Amino acid sequence: MINHIVFVIIFLLGFYAILVKKNLIKMVIGLNIMEGAIFYWFISITDKGDKIPIVNGPYSSALVNDPIPQALILTGIVIGASTSAFLLTLIIELNKFTDSIDPDNLGRMIKD
Amino acid sequence: MIILKYLLVIFLVTTAYLAISFKEELVSIIFLSIFSIILTTLYLIHNAPDVALAEAVIGAGLNTAIFMTVISQVREGKKSMFREDD
Amino acid sequence: MSKAKHIFVVIVLSLLGITMVINLNKIPGNTDQINFIYSHITNNAVLETGSLNFVTAILYDYRAYDSLGESTIIFGAVSGIVLLLSRKTLPVSSHGLSFIVKRTFGMLTPFIFLFSLYIISHGHLSPGGGFQGGVILGAISIIFSIVYGSEFDFKRYSPTTKTLLETGGALLFIGLGLAGIIFGGYFLENLRFLNTEIGSLLSAGSIPLINTVIGFKIGAGLAIIFYSMIQKTFKEEDKL
Repeated sequence: MINHIVFVIIFLLGFYAILVKKNLIKMVIGLNIMEGAIFYWFISITDKGDKIPIVNGPYSSALVNDPIPQALILTGIVIGASTSAFLLTLIIELNKFTDSIDPDNLGRMIKD
Repeated sequence: MIILKYLLVIFLVTTAYLAISFKEELVSIIFLSIFSIILTTLYLIHNAPDVALAEAVIGAGLNTAIFMTVISQVREGKKSMFREDD
Repeated sequence: MSKAKHIFVVIVLSLLGITMVINLNKIPGNTDQINFIYSHITNNAVLETGSLNFVTAILYDYRAYDSLGESTIIFGAVSGIVLLLSRKTLPVSSHGLSFIVKRTFGMLTPFIFLFSLYIISHGHLSPGGGFQGGVILGAISIIFSIVYGSEFDFKRYSPTTKTLLETGGALLFIGLGLAGIIFGGYFLENLRFLNTEIGSLLSAGSIPLINTVIGFKIGAGLAIIFYSMIQKTFKEEDKL
């Protein structure tokens, strides 16, 4: 229950930043916070309280946590880093033309 | 351990709020880095050491460096600069 | 944004939050299918793949095809960034930081390199693997650019070297997959020619090979991303 509530609070904080902020870098920060919230929720609800998914040998009888969600989240973290790097590059290129990082100036650029 | 987890969760929400509420980008990026470090500790508590290592390296290290390079290059001039050029 | 719109956004988001909490509580727990995969992996993964770390076993053996897709996404991101930020000029050097910082990192950097090699090569025995170690390898290039100036980074690891490492890593990964077709019958099948005793460094078939290839590919790719992003700063400093 506490995992769900924390996930929803952090996710909505990031979503609020994307909706309201007038700064493209702040919007990317909000996107990163949303990512972090989803990853934390996924890891915390699949934690059954057992050991880490590394064993001593082939016939170890230790109960371990489910390794599949952890592999998924590992993939997600790396992809999230590369997508945010690409978004920031787009912001740099946009800044050359408009000399600002305000999303409202994008429409002005298209009109001219 | 359960007290540590609740404390870290409270810190997590606080740093996420501070990261989006400050006006300067630099402070926001530092708080985003702290957010990643707290997430790393939470992953370790939830028995996911591989994910914790990835989050520590990527979230706290690489993302901060990339954001820093961006705010060192982005110039915020006058808002209507594009019109004045014409 | 006006005050009324702001309040409207907050109200909508809090309603969304309440719905999300109610719905997340209705998520079903473990189904039979999840339990079947979980028990198969925890019972058989060590004998089937030779890797003691189950996450590595999934990422680089059972679902190595997904890792290939992930590498492709990073390759696409690197290509896009280089395409957008490509400039003809060479980066002009910054002076770097002070003498104390340079000496300290001169002593520290070999250990960072050793740590990244440890993380990459012990991926099947301890936490870590190609992705984490590769990002630490890329961090060495970032340290060179910040502490010693980008000219040092350009001389030590020229963009040609980084490009060769990245494309070579990607091609070797696909080559390992094709070798799996030839020797085993499936794409990215585990080649079982490094099978010493389970738990030693040279075990687990092709998992350490895929780890090494992915590690160098990711490290070179992230170094290229950072290198392309800092170019403009130094060019403008030169103009001033």
